[in-house]
Amino acid sequence: MLVHSRAGRWATWAGFLLLFVPLFAVPLLVIVAASFSTNWSGVFPSGPTVANYGAAVRGESLQALTTSLVTAVAASVFALLFGSWAALAAAALRKRGKRALDALFMLPVAVPSVVVGLAVLVAFSRPPFLLNGTPWIVVLAHTVLVTAFAHQSVSAAIVRLDPVYEQAAASLGARPAYVLWRVRLPLLLPSLNAAAGLCFALSMGELSATMMLYPPDWMPLPVQIFTATDRGSLFTGSAVAVVLMGTTLLVLLAVSRLRTRASFR
Amino acid sequence: MNSGIRFDAVSVAYGGNVVLDSLDLTVEPGEVMALLGPSGSGKTTALRAVAGFVRPVSGRVFLGGRDVTELPPYRRGIGMVVQQYALFPHLKVAENVAFGLKAQKAVPRAEIPGRVAEALDMTGMAAYAGRYPRELSGGQQQRVAIARALAIRPSVLLLDEPLSALDAQLRSGMLAELARLHRELPDVSMLYVTHDQVEALTLADRIAVMDKARLQDCGTPQELYRRPRNEFTASFVGNANLLPVEVRTGGGVRFGEAVLKVDTGDAAAGSAATLCVRPHLVGLGEGPNALRGTIREVQWRGSTHRLYVEVDGRPVKADVRELRETPVLGAPVTLHFASQDAVLLGAGVGSGG
Amino acid sequence: MPSTGADPKAVPTELESGSAGTDRATSQAGTVAAPGRGFSGQGPRPRGVPAWVWALPPVAVLALVFLYPLALVVQQSFTTDSGDVSLAPYGDVFASEAFRSALGTTVWLALGATAGCLVLGFALALVIAFVPFPGGKAVAKFIDVFLSFPSFLITLALLFVYGSVGMANGMWTGVTGASEGPFDFLTTPWGVLLAEITYFTPFVMRPLLAAFSQIDTSQLEVASSLGARTGRIVRQVILPEALPALAAGGSLVLVLCLNEFGIVLFTGAKGVTTLPMLVYSKAILESDYPAACVVAVVNVAISVGLYGIYRVVSRRAGA
Repeated sequence: MLVHSRAGRWATWAGFLLLFVPLFAVPLLVIVAASFSTNWSGVFPSGPTVANYGAAVRGESLQALTTSLVTAVAASVFALLFGSWAALAAAALRKRGKRALDALFMLPVAVPSVVVGLAVLVAFSRPPFLLNGTPWIVVLAHTVLVTAFAHQSVSAAIVRLDPVYEQAAASLGARPAYVLWRVRLPLLLPSLNAAAGLCFALSMGELSATMMLYPPDWMPLPVQIFTATDRGSLFTGSAVAVVLMGTTLLVLLAVSRLRTRASFR
Repeated sequence: MNSGIRFDAVSVAYGGNVVLDSLDLTVEPGEVMALLGPSGSGKTTALRAVAGFVRPVSGRVFLGGRDVTELPPYRRGIGMVVQQYALFPHLKVAENVAFGLKAQKAVPRAEIPGRVAEALDMTGMAAYAGRYPRELSGGQQQRVAIARALAIRPSVLLLDEPLSALDAQLRSGMLAELARLHRELPDVSMLYVTHDQVEALTLADRIAVMDKARLQDCGTPQELYRRPRNEFTASFVGNANLLPVEVRTGGGVRFGEAVLKVDTGDAAAGSAATLCVRPHLVGLGEGPNALRGTIREVQWRGSTHRLYVEVDGRPVKADVRELRETPVLGAPVTLHFASQDAVLLGAGVGSGG
Repeated sequence: MPSTGADPKAVPTELESGSAGTDRATSQAGTVAAPGRGFSGQGPRPRGVPAWVWALPPVAVLALVFLYPLALVVQQSFTTDSGDVSLAPYGDVFASEAFRSALGTTVWLALGATAGCLVLGFALALVIAFVPFPGGKAVAKFIDVFLSFPSFLITLALLFVYGSVGMANGMWTGVTGASEGPFDFLTTPWGVLLAEITYFTPFVMRPLLAAFSQIDTSQLEVASSLGARTGRIVRQVILPEALPALAAGGSLVLVLCLNEFGIVLFTGAKGVTTLPMLVYSKAILESDYPAACVVAVVNVAISVGLYGIYRVVSRRAGA
């Protein structure tokens, strides 16, 4: 304990709340409050309504939700596949090769998402790979952006994995492929799970690259929120944003449930 | 069954650091060989060379007459038990034990449950087949680890400090258990790595003493204890007084002022040598090979007294039956030992081998 | 980054260390002795493919979907509208006022936001770690959740709080009776700065909280028993321990701020143009792809350079 006097402690906590609540808690609460209102010109919003949600789960908003869900699930699956494959392959390499591979797969984090979007748009609008205008170009861009995070968390988990397990398995006559499938992957499962949740959340909220290349018939939620607010429908936009946050949270919760099951198994 | 392990001039080095220096050693079929040595002596490296986890820079490793130096671990057919148990946490006890059988696909699927039950029976863990490793105590986990290694019916069992993670009481129980397993499986060769001389003396048919990456000595426990070949063995296997002596012409040795009658073998007269006498074979009072000195320290150890006596400026340890009266520090005292209880270690044989 | 005992220097310490640690160390050293021979890095493996072959498929995919597009962007940035290869697009872009102001805005916003995040994150993490209060765990959880939300939500929320008819201005007009409130900074760079500080502070707090949990509280107790005041303890005991985490978190936030797009887009202000925003408007709104590619290359050069520094710093920090 750093502050010993009672008064000092209360003062510290008060200062903490004074910073924390307006900065972090209020924004999220404000969005939720706005999603249930029709007007906000005073201290509190007015005109309580659920009509915004009617708009948010109907028509193009509903389509945007399914678009986002499909994109996020597909991008997470691909990212997890390539990210873990690369992480496992890197772990078997010598030090220099491993470092190079890790750096390569982390590179998309450093490159601005907008540039990733531009690059994917430029590359896949021309032969031999014509993906522009299809949902695949969105999935592809999201996969590029989130693979780095899958790679990073699986890499970290592999480093923490005690080699004694795979050695015990090998001494019992298990071939490397069998060891990978029956020992290493099950032991990595909790981390794979966490990585999947992270990838899903990131893909759900991805806006920068998506803005560069989404086709008109494949508009994910963040773009939907932007177009709503851009034409001035702030309250409908808030309702869609709450749907986005809620869906992300639900999936994260489900994933962490699965994770505790996996690590206790 | 043709089993057994042979090291043929096996050397292992990590980045220029020699951690195992030209090891020659044969473990006979059905024999328990203990690799005994301090940490960093190369004993674990030797075991890992048999398992296939380290690759020798030179030399060959043979299992049952077959050169396995180039074989990956999973094609060597060895059972291994390590200090940390290494049970797969995501598999139940029975699945852990069945792991090797399923991985090798050498046994028909229908026979696997029987083999698992047999291995669990052998280690007394049949009642725990449905549990997860984390639900077991350390001793139980180690029994499962042994059952898992035995289930594949290996001709060679490698044990890497298997009891080090257990407390003292469990350890002696497990030691008896391992001895029983050895009797029940007379064909299985065991290589048992340990730094604990009690484990080695209790369990092993022969002990290989390792130090500084080299094999120092090898023999039955009795041989090593009674006739150690060098100072390292003498002090690492049991306790020892190592007295610097000079070989006299016409037999016997000189230790300071005292002349001691011991078998000098073919040691050259006038050469320097080391005389090894076990402290519990040193008696108090007059007798053959008397040593006169002063008591410097006394430790009461319950059933015995350990006396540190200074003889000619050299400390001599004596473990004697509990004395009724504790000797006074500084008092003059006479020690003796029987000629046949002393071993003359050759000059220059000492450290470094 | 703790690599699996891949450091050859690990072996001598193994030789001298106590028996308990020895076997673990040897088991790691064992993987060193025979590196790269199998997918799982085990001993002799005479048959089968070498380890680097397994790395090829993911690298090939990455090359196709990331490196190849990036290379096209670079190539395009050197190509004029007529198809010639020249430095002319760079000359044009560097000469334009829009680019220069966007570069300036991006850099000062990123630096300012990073500084703000560091100060705020340090203060908040300090309280959570060392002046514990009921609910502190929940706050730490909340920060994790916060990180999983997209950044533009903050700007959206700020519109309701500080917007022309939002909470703050509504309160002002309600109290004073004035027709307009005083808060009108959302469409200025200050609005972006506020949103970025809010959104990226948790990125600093996370590594800091991890670093603080490593500090032995008895150290603080000893220091205070020796008569050190709170400020002195923070300066001389906590700050040195936190410095690597601060450096790592700070450089990450700097890169993320340089690349931030959602916050700026939602602000919807013509007055705030950053490099990513410029890439977007050149490419999508003006369809001027060569110019967009030039800006993109500059942005990537700055960010990747900084990211390289971040990797080095965080490896030193062991994060």
